[in-house]
Amino acid sequence: MIEIEHLTKRYGKKTAVDDLSFAVKPGVVTGFLGPNGAGKSTTMRAIVGLDAPTSGLARVNGKHYSEFRSPLTEVGALLEAKSVHAGRSAYKHLLALARTHGIPKRRVTEVIDLVGLHEVAGKRVGGFSLGMGQRLGIAVALLGDPAVLILDEPVNGLDPDGVKWIRLLLKGLAAEGRTVFLSSHLMSELAQTAEHLVVIGQGRLLADTTVDDFVSGNGRSRVRVVSPDAARLAEHLAGPGISVASPERGVLEVTGTEAAVVGQAAAAHSLVLHELRTDRGSLEDAFMQLTADAVEYRQTSEGANR
Amino acid sequence: MTAAVMTDRPAAYTPPANYKLSAAGLLRSEWTKLWSLRSTWIVLLCAVVFSAGLGALIASSVPSDQASGGAGAALDFSMAGISLASVFVAVLGILTVTGEYTTGSIRSTMSAAPRRVSVLWAKAAVYGAVVAVLFGVMVFLTFFMTQAIFSGTDLGGVSLAGDGVLRALLGYTAMIVYLALLALGIGSILRNSAGSIGFYIGVIMILPQLATLLPWNWVADVTPYAPGNVSNTLLMVDPGGANLSVGESWLWMGIWLVVTYGLAGVLLKRRDV
Ligand SMILES: Nc1ncnc2c1ncn2[C@@H]1O[C@H](COP(=O)(O)OP(=O)(O)OP(=O)(O)O)[C@@H](O)[C@H]1O
Ligand SMILES: [Mg+2]
Repeated sequence: MIEIEHLTKRYGKKTAVDDLSFAVKPGVVTGFLGPNGAGKSTTMRAIVGLDAPTSGLARVNGKHYSEFRSPLTEVGALLEAKSVHAGRSAYKHLLALARTHGIPKRRVTEVIDLVGLHEVAGKRVGGFSLGMGQRLGIAVALLGDPAVLILDEPVNGLDPDGVKWIRLLLKGLAAEGRTVFLSSHLMSELAQTAEHLVVIGQGRLLADTTVDDFVSGNGRSRVRVVSPDAARLAEHLAGPGISVASPERGVLEVTGTEAAVVGQAAAAHSLVLHELRTDRGSLEDAFMQLTADAVEYRQTSEGANR
Repeated sequence: MTAAVMTDRPAAYTPPANYKLSAAGLLRSEWTKLWSLRSTWIVLLCAVVFSAGLGALIASSVPSDQASGGAGAALDFSMAGISLASVFVAVLGILTVTGEYTTGSIRSTMSAAPRRVSVLWAKAAVYGAVVAVLFGVMVFLTFFMTQAIFSGTDLGGVSLAGDGVLRALLGYTAMIVYLALLALGIGSILRNSAGSIGFYIGVIMILPQLATLLPWNWVADVTPYAPGNVSNTLLMVDPGGANLSVGESWLWMGIWLVVTYGLAGVLLKRRDV
């Protein structure tokens, strides 16, 4: 259980997190979503006490992180940037952390095997690829077999195998009754892993909901039609609340109505259809719609194209 | 959360109870961290070679008709390498802290020990102990080696039992441990490798020497109390003419360490990692 209460964090004039409140419950994977600079990493650093909140607080299982007598078994954290000395081997890095808590060497080799770093465990971390560094970070998070896992963009840099592996791993850990909280920019990624969703933009809470509700509430569906008579069909479909777009010749994208209605219209006027399909609005679209006003770092080329 | 909300969830997970953060654990962790970096081995090896090598080199190049003999002069010559080696030791002391900040590993360290200050104590204790043991040995090794070279000259025949000799040799060890700890504290305050090394060499080592060139009297009165100078008395076989007495020397070393670590501790608690 993680509780964030009116958390505000300012760096100088910049407000990174702005009066944010939400809770992350055990037993399910909770996704933490937001565009670049939304304040995800800042919030996560505040939970493990690395950054002190300007106001408000972050608690884990009812306590401030620094009150724990064995922090590594309470919370395992993978923080965004590589948090390892480049000159140290993966094994020694883990061992040094393990020793603070009297965690045995056996557990160190166990987590190394678990994340698949067995062959490079003795090598200097400076030579690690992004994915290997990420795996090491996951090993660090798992070291104390903690009740709460906080992972900042764990999927970043992992290959498809790794992505699949961590998805299963996190679901498994949550099923054991642990609290699992992971951040991402990718809605589609989270939708496959998380059950619950916390969305922020510019440091403020935008949504705190289940993934299912988010998808059905925000995903706009549209009907895609391929027809040699597309232009004529478009005329017959026109009506209040219905919008018809033609991204290319012979293709229509209709929103505000259903496939059945489109099919009826085509039949009524004896128009040929080659394809009739309902597209669920992509999660990415839903996410972008939600955060549209809260996107901080938008590439300027988007404006230039207009 | 109320119990009712919990019902359809899996039973609460209980983390392993036998792992606890402890002071002994932090010391072992810092020990592991220190020796798992190649830079530690390289720098300490340099310091060792420097202290013994330079001592031997200078000892063998001193003309045999050296006018002012005696234990004081003998130690000045033979311990020249030890004094220079203190720079290596200080730089490594700085790096044990700043290396964690520049690489980001400080975030791992501080999430394992969120009270933070205990990490600083553990670092200082481990590094201080390593330096004390290593240079405790090196000082005496260099002494006996250079005495062997000096044998038959005015500088030879200095005995450990001689007046102030043993105290001066221990003084060299104390000086190097003091500087190592001072440097480590500076590293913790400044967090940045280049900045800390620059500060140490510029302000701690060189500035007090340059200050003696200034025309004002009060500067000359103050410089003996500068952090880089307060240990000088301890190095003398005959501290009679020194600015600070032996006791004052210890006192001021203590004062500067308390000031440095007090500031380092407060800043460590206050600042974001
Ligand atoms: N240490 C810091 N000093 C100054 N500003 C900071 C600091 N850390 C974060 N910020 C600012 O706070 C805001 C939030 O940053 P944060 O890293 O939390 O975002 P994020 O949601 O993790 O973004 P991303 O998806 O890119 O990782 C950003 O505008 C960032 O520039
Ligand atoms: Mg981030």
